[in-house]
Amino acid sequence: MKFMPHEVTPPAATDAAPPMLELVNVWKRFGDAQAQTVAVSGVNLRIAKSEFVTLVGPSGCGKSTLFNMIAGLLPPDDDGSLLFGGAPQRDGQLLGKVSFMPQRDLLFPWRTVLDNAILALEVEGVPRKEARERARAMLPEFGLAGFADHHPHQLSGGMRQRVALMRTFLFERDLMLLDEPFGALDALTRTRMQHWLLELWARHRRTVLFITHDIDEAILLGDRVLVMTARPGTIKSETVIDLPRPRDPSVVLTPEFIGLKQRLLAEIEEESQKTFAQEGTAS
Amino acid sequence: MNAHLQRALRSPALAFVGLALVWELCVHAFAPSPRYLPALSAIAQDAWSVWPQLARGFGRTLLETVLGFAMGAVFGCLCGTVFTYSRWMERSVFPLFVVSQTVPVVAFGALIVIWFGNSLLAKVMTAFFLTFFPVTVNTLRGLKSCDPQRIALMRSFGANRFVMFFKLAVPSALPQIMVGLRVAIGLSLIGSVVGEWFGETVGLGVMLMEAMNADLVVRLWVVMFACGLMGALLYGLLTFVERRLVWWRSES
Repeated sequence: MKFMPHEVTPPAATDAAPPMLELVNVWKRFGDAQAQTVAVSGVNLRIAKSEFVTLVGPSGCGKSTLFNMIAGLLPPDDDGSLLFGGAPQRDGQLLGKVSFMPQRDLLFPWRTVLDNAILALEVEGVPRKEARERARAMLPEFGLAGFADHHPHQLSGGMRQRVALMRTFLFERDLMLLDEPFGALDALTRTRMQHWLLELWARHRRTVLFITHDIDEAILLGDRVLVMTARPGTIKSETVIDLPRPRDPSVVLTPEFIGLKQRLLAEIEEESQKTFAQEGTAS
Repeated sequence: MNAHLQRALRSPALAFVGLALVWELCVHAFAPSPRYLPALSAIAQDAWSVWPQLARGFGRTLLETVLGFAMGAVFGCLCGTVFTYSRWMERSVFPLFVVSQTVPVVAFGALIVIWFGNSLLAKVMTAFFLTFFPVTVNTLRGLKSCDPQRIALMRSFGANRFVMFFKLAVPSALPQIMVGLRVAIGLSLIGSVVGEWFGETVGLGVMLMEAMNADLVVRLWVVMFACGLMGALLYGLLTFVERRLVWWRSES
């Protein structure tokens, strides 16, 4: 008998490193038994280290609820579990472990650009001087050189968003949660920001979970695109995006891209109609 | 030159000068009895004749007003904070605060004299009684209106309640607290003047009473102007501090 070496090694060896984030049958219901709303139902999800995963879905599908649970702001219902680096997380244990960027930039108007960027570091207890030095070194990379002492009201929407992103980045956690960070920007600025984010990601290789309702954005940025269903939200499908990286702006014109987009559009459209129908019956 | 002129036209100083001119013209044109409208020059003359008493009275009333305001501001901020973070305290003690404000300060004045005697403290207490409430209400409102999404962001960074309070809640509430302070400074002046009516020998309130009792109409005008000047000075000072402290107000 002759054994192949790989048959000798236990099969578990390849799975030795647990995924960065794993959601097993995660539910979130609001309200009591009579008037219950199910926001998120039976979500299963795995994200590996250094992966860029995008999540699309119709509005009101529970994306934000799911995000708040992953950020540790909202406890999931008891029937599922949320594992971070292989360890299950209880109430609030995720707080301070994930760098979370909500839709609105939420900059503090009384703080300068530099001091907004170091907010998370300050909360962590890093001395202000050291935190400022670290942030100052990153300003050019975020296109904010020379704006250290400006205040948020002096900045354009794109710049404010970059400050918020820099604040998220300086809070160095393995997992970054970005909730429609470019949703409020005009189309041109958004395209620029997407490519800039890709460059940034290529350099730092942080694990990213990115919510959007823009399919082009989801395909352009992601290694995988997850489509969420209408409420109650769950993961409907998963599409691996094998477009080569680095992806330049013209990638959106390739037949591969268009093919992916057509398929995903059809799925989203189906879900949007469901939402529409639900709203119709509700009123 | 033209820009200077325009700025001068728009500034409130011109309105004051204009009013003073109209006043003097009316007095000269219609010659009303000084009992109804004395000439500004007569008021200035009278002020000059009682200058030492006026200056002392001004100083004394200013001291009472500032002390009463400071106490009311500190106490109000503390109570507002406690009510924000303790629902139980807000429900049990806050209604008491509201009821206390329905008692007119004049009714309260005699009691304060019995408790604190004819002292500086008695006037400070009447001023305090009027000031703490608007500060409490506005601190409470300011702290409660803190943006929940910003709170969530701070929580996601792992912030504890202490950090959350000083880095987020207090700066967010500052504009609203300043509104309370501006209301309070005017009330504090009223409190100290009224407090003096219940027995005192120095102060603008005392001079007002004396002028009334002796039927010195011109003196009444002098004291009124002095009170107005003090109120304007304090309000202006507070506005200056506010511009320095919460300049971001215009944003969000």
